[in-house]
Amino acid sequence: MIEIKNLTKVYKLSKKKMQELKTKETVKRAVDDVSLTARPGEIYGLLGPNGAGKTTTLRCVATLLKPTEGTVSVCGFDTVQNPEEVRESIGFLTNEIKLDPHFSPKYLFGFFGRMHGVSEEEIEARRKELFEYFEITEFENKKIEELSTGMKQKASIAVSLVHDPKVIIFDEPTNGLDIITARNVTDLLQKLRDEGKLVIISTHIMSEAEKLCDRVGIIIDGKKVMEGTLKELLTQTETADLEDAFFTLYKEHHKEEN
Amino acid sequence: MKDIFKKEIFRVFSDKKMIFSLFILPAVLMFGIYGLMGVMVKNMVSDVEKHVAIVYVQNAPEGLKDLIGQSGYLETAEVTYLAADAAAEEIQKIKDDILTGNVQLMVQFETDFLAKAQNYKNAGDPIPEVTVCYNSTQNYSSSARGNFNSMILAPLQTSLLQNRFGNLDLLTVFNTQEELIINEEKANGEFLATMLPYLITFMLFASAMGLCVDAIAGEKERGTMASMLLCPVKRSSIVFGKLFGLSVLSSLSSIVYAVSMILAMPMMMGGMGEETGLAMNISLSPVQALELFALMVSLVLIYVGALCLVSVFAKNAKEANAYVMPLYMIVLVLGLMTMFKSGMETSQTMYAIPVYGTALSIQGIITSEITFLQFGSSVLSNLLCTVIIVIAVAKVFNNEKIMLNA
Repeated sequence: MIEIKNLTKVYKLSKKKMQELKTKETVKRAVDDVSLTARPGEIYGLLGPNGAGKTTTLRCVATLLKPTEGTVSVCGFDTVQNPEEVRESIGFLTNEIKLDPHFSPKYLFGFFGRMHGVSEEEIEARRKELFEYFEITEFENKKIEELSTGMKQKASIAVSLVHDPKVIIFDEPTNGLDIITARNVTDLLQKLRDEGKLVIISTHIMSEAEKLCDRVGIIIDGKKVMEGTLKELLTQTETADLEDAFFTLYKEHHKEEN
Repeated sequence: MKDIFKKEIFRVFSDKKMIFSLFILPAVLMFGIYGLMGVMVKNMVSDVEKHVAIVYVQNAPEGLKDLIGQSGYLETAEVTYLAADAAAEEIQKIKDDILTGNVQLMVQFETDFLAKAQNYKNAGDPIPEVTVCYNSTQNYSSSARGNFNSMILAPLQTSLLQNRFGNLDLLTVFNTQEELIINEEKANGEFLATMLPYLITFMLFASAMGLCVDAIAGEKERGTMASMLLCPVKRSSIVFGKLFGLSVLSSLSSIVYAVSMILAMPMMMGGMGEETGLAMNISLSPVQALELFALMVSLVLIYVGALCLVSVFAKNAKEANAYVMPLYMIVLVLGLMTMFKSGMETSQTMYAIPVYGTALSIQGIITSEITFLQFGSSVLSNLLCTVIIVIAVAKVFNNEKIMLNA
């Protein structure tokens, strides 16, 4: 279970950044007073344009960032007070976090297993299962740098699931993947959900959110503007599909800023 | 922590490029540089010895030709005799040639040189002169002049004195007997003492540099650092694991440096060793060796710590290398200071300066002059400094802005 209460994350802007963003404000509110709850057995999707604050929110959940205001708790542990326990129960995936290209998937799987305190037998068993599922068994001793993009992605997903986390956080899961690999990934997320795990993802791809997510939270300019199942969102915005719903909300909320 | 330590070690040993640059390259470089230096020195010496100098002698006194013929000077020089009344232009041309290096030496005897020398009786009588023209910036010229002095002029003087006094002992007022009383170990160490602290201080740094930059800034750049930060272990464990792994690796690399340097030393000395009489053997007692080892370990720790601290702030390896350069300069200067500190009084407190004190202590060990207090304060100051740095690194690891470039 993930509970986010009044999460606010403020970045200080350097002079250079201020020039880049053409703003006179010295701070940027990347996430502004967001609250949400995601439960085991569901895929929760954070939907929003680039720079809306999706990644920042997920990073706060993963203990990589500390909230400026508000609290985040994962499986009952606070991300600031008990970061180690939180990290114990999550698997965090993003395209920015990569595996060291110098090692083999097999070695890294073992290494991160030990880092998570998983026993050797369990590592062995998990590796068999996951490597078979992702079809990496025949590449398991090759260096990551020799693998193709799709294989790399599969390997890093496998590695991040080594400790059988209860919560899976996935930042833009299909970004930069070909359709086959992307399909593999979405299938896996559904499988994990069916196993009773909590999956939270961020995306800006409407069709993905439509197909995959049980519930969607729409974030625009750091604020959560609406939340609910696809059906609920369509009813509330009186639109026919998610894309239309999103644009209706975007026009309404983005205007306020200017 | 143990796993991170193992991973750092494994990473290097499974990478051929890393093994090459850390362990093989230093050895090859050392042998190459020292060997080359040795060969060059040797060549230079033998080249000067073999060279046949062009020498002009003007107005040679009677018998000089025979003396030159007997002395063996002709093996190293080709002597041309000039008449006393040689044209001034010709003399000037020879002088110009000496300047350009075409001619090595010109010796001019005064007119009636022998007569004047033999007729000297009382104070105020004329003393004959010999003018020696040579170019001190040319090795060949200097060598020709030296040979001429020792092989021709000195015997000539002796024989003239013999004629004048009959008994040469008349010229000797007393004999001096010199007895050398020195600490042999110190004399042996003197040469190494100037070089070794400098070499050790900066070589340890050089071997740690690439490693630390790659292990911290490189990991950040590749995006692999974040995956470590996501593991349910304390940030400080990550820091410790990394630092220990890096320290062990840099120590190994520096041992390779040191061993190859010592092994390569005779190659350089081959060229000049025997002639200059430099004693190159150092003998360390077990205690001294242990002290040296402790100093080197503490030095490696402080280097690794400082390098990591600097690297953490960099976004990528390139930036980290730029940040590391000032540190490198400081280490170079500190090492150089021990090389040229002669005359400067080294007080007890200077041994407590991290890095610099260590260089002083290494010097002290080689010349067997170090006190236990000096040794202790060097090691302790290094360790204390390392602790402070490690705490700082651990703190920075907790800083989301720096670690994630956010």
